[in-house]
Amino acid sequence: MTIQEKYKARVKELLSTGAVKMVIGYKPGSTAERRRPLFMRSPEEADQLVLDTACIANLAGYLVAEGLLSDDKRVGIFLKPDGIRSINILAAEAQLNIDQIVVLGFDIDGQEVNALEGESAGDFSALIESIKDHAPEAPRNPLIEQIEQMNPIQRFDFWQTEFSRCIKCYACRQACPMCYCRRCIVDSNQPQWINTSSHTLGNLEWNIIRAFHLSGRCVGCGNCDRACPVNIPLRLINARMGQEVLGAFDHFAGMSETQEPVLASFKKDDSETFIL
Amino acid sequence: MAKIGVFICHCGENIASKVDCNKLATSIGEHPGVAVALDYKYFCSDPGQERLKKAIKENNLTGVVVAACSPMMHEATFRKACAEAGLNPYLCEIANIREQCSWVHTDYDMATQKAMEITRSMVEKVKRNNKLQPIEVPVTRRALVIGGGIAGIQAALDIANAGQQVVLVEREPSLGGHMAQLSETFPTLDCSQCIMTPRMVEASQHPNIRLLTYAEIESVDGYIGNFQVRIRMKARYVDMSTCTGCGDCITKCPTKKISSEFDCGMGKRTAIYTPFAQSVPNIPVIDKASCTYFKNGKCKVCMKSCELNSINFDMQDEFIDLDFGAIVVATGFQVQDNSVYGEYGYGKYKDVINGLQFERLASASGPTSGKILRPSDGKEPENIVFIQCAGSRDCSKGVRYCSKICCMYTAKHSMLYAHKVHGGIAQIFYMDIRAAGKGYDEFTRRAIEEDKAAYFRGRVSKVWQENGKLMVRGVDTLLGKPVVIAADMVVLATAMVPQPDAKDFAKTIGIGYDEYGFFNEAHLKLRPVESSTAGVFLAGACQSPKDIPDSVAQASASASKVLALFSKDKLEREPVVASNNETTCAGCWGCVLACPYNAIEKKDILDRSGKVIKRVASVNPGLCQGCGTCVTFCRSNSLDLAGFTEKQIFAEVMAL
Ligand SMILES: Cc1cc2nc3c(=O)[nH]c(=O)nc-3n(C[C@H](O)[C@H](O)[C@H](O)COP(=O)(O)OP(=O)(O)OC[C@H]3O[C@@H](n4cnc5c(N)ncnc54)[C@H](O)[C@@H]3O)c2cc1C
Ligand code: SF4
Ligand code: SF4
Ligand code: SF4
Ligand code: SF4
Repeated sequence: MTIQEKYKARVKELLSTGAVKMVIGYKPGSTAERRRPLFMRSPEEADQLVLDTACIANLAGYLVAEGLLSDDKRVGIFLKPDGIRSINILAAEAQLNIDQIVVLGFDIDGQEVNALEGESAGDFSALIESIKDHAPEAPRNPLIEQIEQMNPIQRFDFWQTEFSRCIKCYACRQACPMCYCRRCIVDSNQPQWINTSSHTLGNLEWNIIRAFHLSGRCVGCGNCDRACPVNIPLRLINARMGQEVLGAFDHFAGMSETQEPVLASFKKDDSETFIL
Repeated sequence: MAKIGVFICHCGENIASKVDCNKLATSIGEHPGVAVALDYKYFCSDPGQERLKKAIKENNLTGVVVAACSPMMHEATFRKACAEAGLNPYLCEIANIREQCSWVHTDYDMATQKAMEITRSMVEKVKRNNKLQPIEVPVTRRALVIGGGIAGIQAALDIANAGQQVVLVEREPSLGGHMAQLSETFPTLDCSQCIMTPRMVEASQHPNIRLLTYAEIESVDGYIGNFQVRIRMKARYVDMSTCTGCGDCITKCPTKKISSEFDCGMGKRTAIYTPFAQSVPNIPVIDKASCTYFKNGKCKVCMKSCELNSINFDMQDEFIDLDFGAIVVATGFQVQDNSVYGEYGYGKYKDVINGLQFERLASASGPTSGKILRPSDGKEPENIVFIQCAGSRDCSKGVRYCSKICCMYTAKHSMLYAHKVHGGIAQIFYMDIRAAGKGYDEFTRRAIEEDKAAYFRGRVSKVWQENGKLMVRGVDTLLGKPVVIAADMVVLATAMVPQPDAKDFAKTIGIGYDEYGFFNEAHLKLRPVESSTAGVFLAGACQSPKDIPDSVAQASASASKVLALFSKDKLEREPVVASNNETTCAGCWGCVLACPYNAIEKKDILDRSGKVIKRVASVNPGLCQGCGTCVTFCRSNSLDLAGFTEKQIFAEVMAL
């Protein structure tokens, strides 16, 4: 049985026994390489399920849709390790109750899709631990290497040029599982810290604030840069912030549902004396 | 329409020499919304304040900017003046053109330009200021005093004598602290025990003082006027309500060879013990770590010997939760561990002791009943070398500061020695003699002139043993010669250091500490007894090395601060507190975690049927200290700080 068939059977079982009220997975998209989210409420709907190497989108963000989890019923969801980290963060930030989530875990290794052992987020902690240990892996993306070579001025110019193309469509924000605020800071206009028109300065303000808001929270799933209509490599800046946070605070986002948010927590034995 | 008054102060020459105040007044006068702009030599003076008040009334001002020194200096002054003129004091802001401008710049034109920008930015802020009212919080009229040394006892007695309730917490089995260990005290040479014990008894019998010994602070929550404190009562294994302190158990206890902490290792105690004969309360504790029963499960001799059945081996630690309005921290000091000075042979040679050990030898209630006898063979030493600054003023191994008391107690030791051992020779190595204090210089002179103490100005480089003598090699810098003295005993004037757990303790209470662990005062000169946390005061050697007079003075000062606090029914606090926009809050609890004062709670928003529709953060204005941490954290920009709202800050920035 292929992994797709195996999981299809599991989804049907979950839905028909009433163990979950919904399973979020993938179905075919507009082109052969694209997949769309599939929200399955009945066993029949699971027939459309697709699980292959094109299923790269991180679906975790759908879990925080207003009202979805408020009835305390359980929901199943297809997640790669990055998505599992996302739901750990969402749980740590009180956006969902992790016990309501049934994880249908999978991983993509080149041309292969592998099932992951376990169904609750905690089952994957050893896996995430091993990802953390190999986290600052050799930069595979040639662009990263290029950026790493730049001096700070060149790097600033690089990002300024990239961000100058931003059209402030906020697709990146919509696609990101971590951008769950009811009102985003860009939408706050009393006062308007971030300019809404898409000129270079306003764009910089927006993209840099977003990078700050994601530091220690981004799992590098790439939803944002896949969503960006002008192809800004957004994930790279967030991944870099992740590296900084890992180096400075030994914090790898999404280790567990009890992990304290790095920028909100402090240790009483911090060497800085301003911490009382 | 905004009608802002701008008052530019020359501060004598302080500002006027670098900033063209007149020009500043003219140009800011043209800024939109500014109704009047005046400059004057000293606005903080009486006539200056009158000008300001007059201008407020005449122009019906809606806001005031005083361009002057730092708000730390005179914000309160000018806000009060505004209030007197009928303007809400929070509509007054200070533009700091002294510390942040005239004092740090040399170019007249550019400094004037910068002063203009600073002032303009404050004008834009003030236009958006809101009238605020001070927050009223109730006061629990009960004080917590932590530490039962002389400082803690004094503070407790002063507060109690004024009719307020006090809980005095001491972690040792008895009150007393270091003063109980001392023999006689400089500069009067009166017996320490004789002046201390009556105080201890008074504190324990005072109707307004609840004494908790063998107790420690577990946690502190809350804020000025309203602290919630959990106190751990360590298991004594002796029932305090029935024990009469007869001491039968102590006499019978077979585990007798335990080194006595009170006697600094110069004497022995039993496993069930009171630290010293005059202990208050005079009720023993069992030292679990040494007790044979706790170690081997066999013994219970004490239990059998107690006619009142007061011994209970099953006792557990207990917790007491109490509310307090104020806290006095009086946890005292420790003497530094001299073993860092290997070259002085402390810990290696029995006859090299520290000052506190010498106090025990000289004390009538000490292990030698007040006779100066060498620890090694019990012989009376014919001469003693005292080494001052053993640890103090030493950047390499010790501490950088001066311990302040060692000059004095060393002089005292030399006198006690001269009085007790006729013909005994005291030789003292010192760096400087610091005897500033009432009667202090006279005291050291007496040691030199009457009691013939020989002072050598110089350091000791090594102490070693030779033919039964301690050889002390030092230098006499005044003669420019090395000196070697064969001594019978060596006493090190050890540095005063903070309690080993001072930093952790400070974190439990929520107060600051310096690099060593001494607790920080709010202002070294002007607020030396307040900690930086409102409602927590400091007394005694926990703040810095101190002698008894200073410790007592600070304790009484703390007590007066506590009493001033308790003289009010309600406290007024600055209304600079955060508030949350419940509509936009995402309930991520980042702020809840980030708030250093635990001021943010989780609040359920219910629908009409009582169902929780969402949970949001909610700031308790009584707890919030206005630090702004949460505001900077909140990603959804839901939190704002009164007096420093985002609108105000934004306007300030945009005006630059
Ligand atoms: C060798 C020597 C000789 C001295 N001779 C003189 C002299 O002749 N004249 C003079 O004026 N001064 C003298 N002093 C200084 C004097 O000892 C101090 O000024 C005085 O003891 C300071 O009192 P205190 O209450 O601040 O601290 P301490 O005496 O140290 O008392 C602190 C108390 O707090 C308790 N405590 C600590 N931590 C906690 C906690 N977490 N919870 C509860 N309780 C706690 C301790 O057990 C202790 O009982 C001498 C000092 C030394 C070392
Ligand atoms: S998706 Fe791209 S274009 Fe749209 S707001 Fe984000 S960065 Fe800008
Ligand atoms: S008090 Fe005197 S002996 Fe002590 S450190 Fe200061 S100078 Fe040295
Ligand atoms: S940080 Fe902001 S969004 Fe999060 S709980 Fe606090 S107020 Fe709400
Ligand atoms: S401003 Fe915010 S973080 Fe600071 S004390 Fe108040 S609630 Fe806590």
